[in-house]
Amino acid sequence: MSKISNVSRRDFLKGSGAFVLGAMVPMAATAGPGNLFPSPATDAFSPNLYLSIANDGLVTVTSHRSEMGQGIRTAIAQIVADELNADWSRVQVGQAPGDKAYGDQNTDGSQSIRLFYDILRNAGATARMMLLEAGAKHLGAPVEECFVENHQVLHINSDNRADFGELAAIAASMPVPRNVAFKNADQHRYIGKPMSHVDIDDILDGKGTYGADVRRPHMVYAVIKHPPVLGAQATTMADVSPQPGFIGIEVLEQPAGAPLFNPVGGIAVIANDTHTAMRIADGLNVEWSASENDKFDSTALSQAMRNAVNKPGDAVFDQGKIDRALSRKGKFVEAVYETPFLSHAPMEPPCAVAEIVDGHCHVWGPLQNPQGTRSDVARWLKVDESKVTVDTTLLGGAFGRKSKPDFAIEAVELARRLERPVKVIWTREDDIQHDYYHAASAQYHKAKLGRNGLPEAWLQRTAFPSISTTFAAEALKPAEFELEMGFTNIPYRVRHQRFEATGVKPGVRIGWMRSVCNIFHSFSCNVFVDEMATAARRNPIDYRLALLGKSKHRFKVPGLQPPEGHEMDIARIRNVIERVRDLSTFDKARPDGHGLGFAVHHSFRSYVATVIEASVEDGNVKVHNAWVSLDCGTYINPDTCRAQMEGAVVFGLSLAQMGEITMTDGRVNQSNFHDYPVLRMPECPDIEVDLVASTALPAGVGEPGVPPVAPALINAIYAASGNRIRSLPIKSVV
Amino acid sequence: MAHQLIINGETHEVDVADDTPLLWALRDTIGLTGTKYGCGKGLCGACTVHVGSTAVRSCQTTVASAAGKPVSTIESLRRRNPDLIAAWITHNVPQCGYCQSGQLMSAAALLSANPSPSDAEIDAAMSGNICRCGTYPRIRAAIKEVAAGGMS
Repeated sequence: MSKISNVSRRDFLKGSGAFVLGAMVPMAATAGPGNLFPSPATDAFSPNLYLSIANDGLVTVTSHRSEMGQGIRTAIAQIVADELNADWSRVQVGQAPGDKAYGDQNTDGSQSIRLFYDILRNAGATARMMLLEAGAKHLGAPVEECFVENHQVLHINSDNRADFGELAAIAASMPVPRNVAFKNADQHRYIGKPMSHVDIDDILDGKGTYGADVRRPHMVYAVIKHPPVLGAQATTMADVSPQPGFIGIEVLEQPAGAPLFNPVGGIAVIANDTHTAMRIADGLNVEWSASENDKFDSTALSQAMRNAVNKPGDAVFDQGKIDRALSRKGKFVEAVYETPFLSHAPMEPPCAVAEIVDGHCHVWGPLQNPQGTRSDVARWLKVDESKVTVDTTLLGGAFGRKSKPDFAIEAVELARRLERPVKVIWTREDDIQHDYYHAASAQYHKAKLGRNGLPEAWLQRTAFPSISTTFAAEALKPAEFELEMGFTNIPYRVRHQRFEATGVKPGVRIGWMRSVCNIFHSFSCNVFVDEMATAARRNPIDYRLALLGKSKHRFKVPGLQPPEGHEMDIARIRNVIERVRDLSTFDKARPDGHGLGFAVHHSFRSYVATVIEASVEDGNVKVHNAWVSLDCGTYINPDTCRAQMEGAVVFGLSLAQMGEITMTDGRVNQSNFHDYPVLRMPECPDIEVDLVASTALPAGVGEPGVPPVAPALINAIYAASGNRIRSLPIKSVV
Repeated sequence: MAHQLIINGETHEVDVADDTPLLWALRDTIGLTGTKYGCGKGLCGACTVHVGSTAVRSCQTTVASAAGKPVSTIESLRRRNPDLIAAWITHNVPQCGYCQSGQLMSAAALLSANPSPSDAEIDAAMSGNICRCGTYPRIRAAIKEVAAGGMS
């Protein structure tokens, strides 16, 4: 073993005999990435950032949000093209770099459409009005006698017409209208219609460019041996012998303080191809320094969370006299629920390419937040943001992992040191073992049931390591936004009620994963309500409807408030419950050994009710069917909405049936799909989705399907077997 | 060492170590990036290609073992199997799309060996391909559509 040093330091190059930088790069690697996505024509009519029209009439809609399978590039184009009255076959979709000019680009929280529906409609409608003015001028007709249809401006009293292409240059000189009118819903041609993924041909031909597919001339490949324990640093390592394709190593250090989105450090192996870098990184013999997380143990953390919820925590809501109500005699239901750490495991592990030319840094990657990444990179390099360009590729799945650009900063740091383009590729093992984990948790529920079987008093407690701990070393308390994910905003109000929350300190980075804290809060609350229904000997759906009451539609929640217009609406919850009951024919008898389970959850401003049919045989659970009713308000692409619900069922079943990350001595025990399994096709049920037609404000689609899945399954297993599972994942059903 | 790889009917000379996985020769050396890395252990199927008419995991197939044999990748699938691609479009199968080249290559191999597979045979043949987005119901439907079309 020897002290380690960097290839970018001359002494190391002399001493190690490693291949010198500038060694032959395979020909294919010099081909360059080409254009990742279409670029707007430069001679175009560009009334705003989101759209331009070339002189041949080709419309380029620019998606400023990241595509990770949720269909946002298609949805954005549908909105703009619809208001523009464009011909869909003459629309292409570009992709914006990270830039504050576009507004929010942080593609998480299931809010792309919620935040940008009106802005994008405005972009299309503004251009339509300017084209109308241009068309009238071109045709020599009064504006009132002209209209816009299918990429043309037409004169109402004649056959005169002009194509958008002819009008682009004229439209560019028209004044921008102050007020624009949006089309009525019955005039929509694309909004609300099922349309194919705009990138589907590229994807099916293997031509879609994901982060892993970006290549730059003279690019080298880096695979990083990350420290096994968060906070450890490499101290010594055995020399790597010179070999074909190997360029050298770089030592990366994790900055002090909270993890943030900083790289975690480690040894980067630089090579002329991925395989050489992976092979050498895998065989590196490294010694690591001690870390404060060396003793971190997820089993001990679970115990700590169980202890925490078995005693009072910080009350975040308290009404009536809960202690007195619970101390009186009566019928009680009481339970503790537990969920484990989870890893996102997108099919494309984290990866990025960075290149610095003449002081300008260019990053390409599968990034959920290119604008945030641009700021992070600028801060890292201590340069102005104008010296950084961040381009988003297609994301090969993300689920929240790729909003944390630690992997992109690794590429930037290596490109800075090596003075050439670098692609950083994480192995699957890196991905599973160095994630920003979905928090493990525990909840406690206790209720006293009244004569009608409904709770008179209800105490709920939650404990989990907060996402805040990733951003502030001293943070401990769950954040308001985490509690507003299915804890403070449960839709049930009883006379005596208290909510208590406790934070615990993790030894790993905590992040947000598809539907975040809703996963465990929906799980515990929905299973507990099922347990109350059982105690009350009531049908779970009837019981739920009775518990919701016929109360006011706008339900006031404590703590963090929803955005205006998105207050929780009890009538919409009732509606999805009744619809999924009917869709699943919930009251119809099932085959022997089969059970139906139900759950409902409001998250990301949408309403989702789910029924699952499962059977248990020899302790093995088989999921046969899932029915989902979704009310996401106004929707753009119903097929995407259905696809997201289907995917949510698969994602939810994966975490309920098999997802578990554990840590021992600070190290993650799982490493790949053999010990962190996810659902495969034989385990996938038939899924039927019901989409509520609505004129309400648009709400989330990507995440809200996930939270009801695990509790619906647990409730189905109870119905099938009488076995009540309170801890995820389901290990065995006796 | 130099190997002769026949990819989608074209011959490529690649100078890499014998034990280099075909996956990385395709992606890094030849520049065909439609075949994806997902796990490196043959667990996820994202890297599925055909050697002859057999679906193999290219992360577990060495360049030496594939040399001289006809290898097909996603880049040539539309040409060879337009019906399968059409069914994928009809059912709007992909979400993120990253695993879809592997899914398609497994489906194509299944249908070439068994033009009218049962539901259980489809599940079994596709069980090596993970889709984290959860497009399984649509993959099933697309395969069934092609199978039904083949019988008529």
